[in-house]
Amino acid sequence: MKMRVRLTFPQNLIKEPVIFTMAKEFNVMPNIRRARVTETVGEMVLELEGEDSRLQEGINFLKAKGIEVELIEGDVIE
Amino acid sequence: MGHVKGLKCRECGREYPVDPIYVCEFCFGPLEVGYDYKSIAKAITRKKIEQRPQTLWRYRELLPIDGDPLVGLASGFTPLVKADNLAREIGIDELFIKDDTVVHPTLSFKDRVVAVALTKAKEFDFDTVACASTGNLAHSVSAHGARAGFKRFIFIPASLEASKIVASLVYEPNLIAVDGNYDEVNRLCSEVANKYRWAFVNINIRPFYAEGSKTIGFEIVEQMGWKAPDHIVVPCASGSLLTKVWKALKEFKQIGILKELDTKIFGAQATGCGPIATAVKAGTDVIRPVKPNTIAKSLAIGNPADGFYASQVIKETGGYAEDVSDQEIIDAIKLLARTEGIFAETAGGVTLASAIKLIKAGRITREGTTVICITGNGLKTQEALQGHTMMPHHIKPSLASFEGVLGKISRGD
Repeated sequence: MKMRVRLTFPQNLIKEPVIFTMAKEFNVMPNIRRARVTETVGEMVLELEGEDSRLQEGINFLKAKGIEVELIEGDVIE
Repeated sequence: MGHVKGLKCRECGREYPVDPIYVCEFCFGPLEVGYDYKSIAKAITRKKIEQRPQTLWRYRELLPIDGDPLVGLASGFTPLVKADNLAREIGIDELFIKDDTVVHPTLSFKDRVVAVALTKAKEFDFDTVACASTGNLAHSVSAHGARAGFKRFIFIPASLEASKIVASLVYEPNLIAVDGNYDEVNRLCSEVANKYRWAFVNINIRPFYAEGSKTIGFEIVEQMGWKAPDHIVVPCASGSLLTKVWKALKEFKQIGILKELDTKIFGAQATGCGPIATAVKAGTDVIRPVKPNTIAKSLAIGNPADGFYASQVIKETGGYAEDVSDQEIIDAIKLLARTEGIFAETAGGVTLASAIKLIKAGRITREGTTVICITGNGLKTQEALQGHTMMPHHIKPSLASFEGVLGKISRGD
C-alpha cells in the first residue's frame, strides 16, 4: 500500500531522525518529494509504502511523536 | 475553442496535458490551469462581455472549457449591493456586498464551481459525478448533476444531522453515509477516485472546478464599472476562493480589461478553525492544521490545501486576515439582515465580523471602496441562530390584544 502524506514537525523534533526510525521499525519505505525546514517548523511531503497494517502503525508512531500527519487530499470535504 | 494551454504544478512548474488529474506526480504539488492570455486578450473585450447573458459564462474565455458551456447556464452574475446602511453602521465610506446568497440553483457560490466542474466532466465524457461534502457542495452537485443527467454519488459522514442532508436528498443522488469521521470519509473518497472512472469534483476535477471561483472576481470588477475595489474580504475554508478572486483580478489586468490594480485581499475565518488567519497574524507561511470547532461548518477545514497560497496572496497584496468567535458570527449575521435585508449563512457572518475587526484595527481604511463576499444563504444554517433571534409577539385573535402589543412596540417596551 502507498500513501501520500504531508508531515508537519514541531520545533523539538526537527533534529530527530524520526522518519528513519519509522522506516526501520515498521519496514515502511519513504520517498521524499518536497521538504521545507525553518527555524521553528519542518514540513515534508512524501510517499510512504509498506504493508497495510505496518504502514498504519508507522503513521501512528509519527502521530504519537507529535508530528501532524495529513493526507495530500486532506481537505476533500468542503 | 478554449484558451487553455495545459495544467501546471504550482510547486515545481512541471506541465501536464488537460486531463482529470490534480496532483503533480513528481512533487505532489497541486495542479493549476494555465491559459494562453495573448489569444484571450484578442478574443474578449468589455463590450463583448457586456453583450452576453448575465451568467458566469460571460467570462467563458477565462474558464477551462473547450466548447460551449453545458451545465449551470443560469448560474452566477449575482447582485453587487451598495450597502449604505451597513457602511454607516460599521463606520466606512463605501461598502458593497457581493451577494452569493442568491446563486442559481442552490444559493451558494458552490454553484459557480460546480457549473464549471460538471461542464468539464461532460467534456471528459464522464457519466458519473461525485463529491465528499457535508453541505453546500453536496447540494450543488446533486442539483446541477440532476439537470445535466449525471449519475451522482455524494459521500458524507454518517453522523451528520438529517436536517443537513434533506437539501441534497431531494435531488435523489446516491447519498453514501460513511460510518466514520471526516478524515475517514476523505480517505475513502481518494481511494474511490483512484479506482473508479468518476468525476470527483473536488478531487480529480479540482483544477477545473476551482477556476469557477474566479467568476466572483470578474463580476465584482464589471459591476463596479470595470474597476477593482480597494479592499476585498473573502471567507477562507481551503483558501482556494481567496486565491482565485485574486487570480481573476490579475487576469483582467493582464489581458487589458482592467487598467489599474491595487486591491488588498483580506481573509476571514472562524477562531474555531482559523489556520490561515493564525499563520498570517504570526507572520509565517507555515499553515498548522487544526481540529475545527465552529458553527461555521462550511468553512471548517482544519488542513486547508490552499492555505499556503492564500497566505501568500494576502501578503503579496498587503492585506491581512482576521478570525472571529461564534458569538461574533451570529451578531454579524443579524447585523447584515437588519441593515441590508440579506440573510447570510454562518460563513457570511464570519466574513462580515472579520471585516468589522479589520476596519476597527485600521487594516481596512475607512476611505476607499470595500467589497465583502457573502458566499451562501442563511436559510441553510438557520439552526445556528436558534435562541439568538427576537421572539414573536403572541396575541389573542382580537383587535384589543393586537393594539395592546402595538402600544408596547410604539413605546419601545
